[in-house]
Amino acid sequence: MNFVFLFTIMIIVAYILLGIYSSLALRTYLRKNSYVDYNVVADSPLAPSVSIVAPAFNEEKSIVNNVKTLLGLHYRNYEVLVINDGSTDDTFKLIQENFGLVKVNYYFDYRIPCGRIRGIYKSTNPAFKRLTVVDKVNEGNKSDAINAGLNICKNDLLVTIDADSIIEPDALSKLVKPFLEEKEKKVIGTGGVIRVLNSCDVEDGKVKQVNLPKKFLPRLQVLEYTRAFLLGRMAWSKLDGLMLISGAMGMFDRETMIKVGGYDSSVIGEDMEVVLRMRKYMADQKKKYIVTYIPDPLCWTEVPEDLKSLGQQRTRWTRGLIDSLKKHNDIFLNSKYGKLGMLGYPFWFIFEWLAPLAAFSGILYTVFLIATGAMNWSFFLVLLGFIYAFSIALSTWSILFEEITFHKYRRKRDVIRLVLTSFVEPFMYVVLAWFSVKGNIQHIFKTGGWGTIKRKGGK
Amino acid sequence: MNRIRIVVTILALLFACSFFVQTKTFKRIANKSEFEFVKYDNENTWLKVHEFWGLEMRFVDILIVISLSLISTMIILLLIILVKRNNRDNREKLKDELMEKYQLMILEYLGASTVNMEGFKKMTRSKFNRQILIKQIIDISLNLPPEAKLKLNKLYFFLGLLKDTKGKLDSLKWHKKVQAFKELSSLNIKVYNKKIEKCINSKNDILRLESHIALVKLADDGNPFEFLGDLDYHFSLWEQITLHQLMTENEMNVPNFGKWVNSKNLDVAMFCLRMIREYNQVNNYDELDQALLHENEKVRKTAIEVIGDLGLFSLFRVLKKRYKHETYDNSLEIIRTMGKRPVKSVMNFLQNVVDAEDDVNLQIEAVKSIKNMGDDGKVRLEKMMNSDYKNYSIIIKHVLDDRIN
Repeated sequence: MNFVFLFTIMIIVAYILLGIYSSLALRTYLRKNSYVDYNVVADSPLAPSVSIVAPAFNEEKSIVNNVKTLLGLHYRNYEVLVINDGSTDDTFKLIQENFGLVKVNYYFDYRIPCGRIRGIYKSTNPAFKRLTVVDKVNEGNKSDAINAGLNICKNDLLVTIDADSIIEPDALSKLVKPFLEEKEKKVIGTGGVIRVLNSCDVEDGKVKQVNLPKKFLPRLQVLEYTRAFLLGRMAWSKLDGLMLISGAMGMFDRETMIKVGGYDSSVIGEDMEVVLRMRKYMADQKKKYIVTYIPDPLCWTEVPEDLKSLGQQRTRWTRGLIDSLKKHNDIFLNSKYGKLGMLGYPFWFIFEWLAPLAAFSGILYTVFLIATGAMNWSFFLVLLGFIYAFSIALSTWSILFEEITFHKYRRKRDVIRLVLTSFVEPFMYVVLAWFSVKGNIQHIFKTGGWGTIKRKGGK
Repeated sequence: MNRIRIVVTILALLFACSFFVQTKTFKRIANKSEFEFVKYDNENTWLKVHEFWGLEMRFVDILIVISLSLISTMIILLLIILVKRNNRDNREKLKDELMEKYQLMILEYLGASTVNMEGFKKMTRSKFNRQILIKQIIDISLNLPPEAKLKLNKLYFFLGLLKDTKGKLDSLKWHKKVQAFKELSSLNIKVYNKKIEKCINSKNDILRLESHIALVKLADDGNPFEFLGDLDYHFSLWEQITLHQLMTENEMNVPNFGKWVNSKNLDVAMFCLRMIREYNQVNNYDELDQALLHENEKVRKTAIEVIGDLGLFSLFRVLKKRYKHETYDNSLEIIRTMGKRPVKSVMNFLQNVVDAEDDVNLQIEAVKSIKNMGDDGKVRLEKMMNSDYKNYSIIIKHVLDDRIN
């Protein structure tokens, strides 16, 4: 019982401290950023060149619009590489037809191992000169596709993005900024805020109107994303303990990425694993480096709308987390890796991996107590009330920060609905904890696949 | 942003108050009715009585109080969200109204020969209004001819708005200082240049950058970049890009950047090399020659790029010599540089690179450079295609495809 008590207090204190630290960091960031003109970097001949690598697997509903968005970004020097990762639908056909692609004699070598590349395509239309499409055999997962792109791309910075995501027009300028501000520490990666696209009005691959999702599950994920990105990652970035740059969108130093051998296609959680490996590489080489995070909304992505897809996504995330933590277990409490080893890794290990398992065990124990009639109901209600109150207060806090900072949901009723969702959200934790347990079971028995989300391609 | 601090402070106070009140209320209820919602249990850590600092308490009671406080906090947060929303909307509305009103008044002032300044004075009683007026004066002055700008400056001085700007300049808060820099530089007021100069080596990135921008804008006909010689701090690429943009937009008279190529500050050295390229300052031949031997590889790389972009062929022989001694990135840059302008004398060197190197990027860049040599280059590539020494055809096909490169 003492252990449970201490664990609960630890979780609550950790989240409160992270929230406070995040809030302070966010405040400084926003104040500094209010003087920044991103057009300056977007138009400058001195700005570094960027390669966007967008793997696509069966994205026929959204691929054309999303490639158009990528080609219309406000940045002077960039190329777009779409990797058709052996799609079985019309993804490749649609890109080929809409962008007038023809096969070219592209010379490259497989310095980063990846699946066989069937062909490299360029457009006959000079308007799409930035676009290169790589058609490859699907021999692994998303990592394999990014590695193919890594063999082809040639610019200083690498942006990895899901082809089904919608990117903000000024996203590249914002992501590039930390690299341009580099001081004695080399910037090896930067991530930004990912927002929920469901129910938003999308026109020509651009988000025209931000709406709160109509369905409950996506709305719930809006809350989760807001909490994670505004109250969590900002703090980890400031604490130099950031372990994850979301796979939906991130920018990396290409040279460092190549030196670590690109993505590892044998793991599921490739986005966390590659960041850990890059950080380890830099620390082993005794090079000063940072992984940064910018709290600006840069990218919009569709989240699962049904329990089945959500379950597949969350079990995959859990398996990915375990893979990454296991593979780099030497970081755990290893002072050689600085705050990553002493803070970041232990936090993920205890609060992201073990906490859902502990919570699920608690639920089972509760059921056992009820079944055996040994439940102290009044005590149970007090504990439940406490957790419930803490959960909604934390969510409301994140909503307040969203309001103060980016103010994306313009309608008052959207904010009220979001707050109301936070009243129901704590009950969903049981389901999410189960998905986490399921992920652990799948990891042990090496089952479970990648899973899919039913795409609508915007409203 | 001060509002965030106020909100957080109010929140903390409210939380503390609600915690205090609820503890008292809870105790009162408990005392009056001998109320015990959760029964005492000495076996359970949560339910047994602990003694801390002479006070008897149970964790479960603390939990109840914290829960009630959290719920109160949530309600308060919710109210803050709604009130903030309304305030934001009202403030935006008021700002738009004032901006429009001041715009009309300023335009009337600019067009008339005599204007009743008292009308303006009445409008500038509150700090908020004065700030909006300063913003509007700056916005309008951007597109005005010099005489009209002078008239606007007179209005600014007459209304005592300089006091506001000076107040911000003397503030300890960096963001207020930045605002003052922007106002002074937009209105071309040079009296406080010395104060701005004090910030050129500030630890705060934004303050440092904005002081550089302001000094460049406010410089007399002399050298606006004199501060480069005094820069101790890191001069990031972001700052360099911003200053370059400023020079381009304002079509400024630029100094000879060769003066600072040997700066101990490596960022300044690289900035100057880049500016030598952007402003085509080919007279800095010797400085570029020296920069090729700089101890820092990034400076050397920038120098190689600049030599190529400026077409300083006579330095290509130095580049050829440096090729084997350079880092991989710099060697690649040398090959690229040689292809920027057609110089026949490097053709054999480039072919040697293709023959000798196994690295794909070096091979591709060397073939690209040969291709850029014009007709002679094409002839050389055709010969290489038929060569028995190595199979060049894949690389050459790649390079000759204009859609790829």
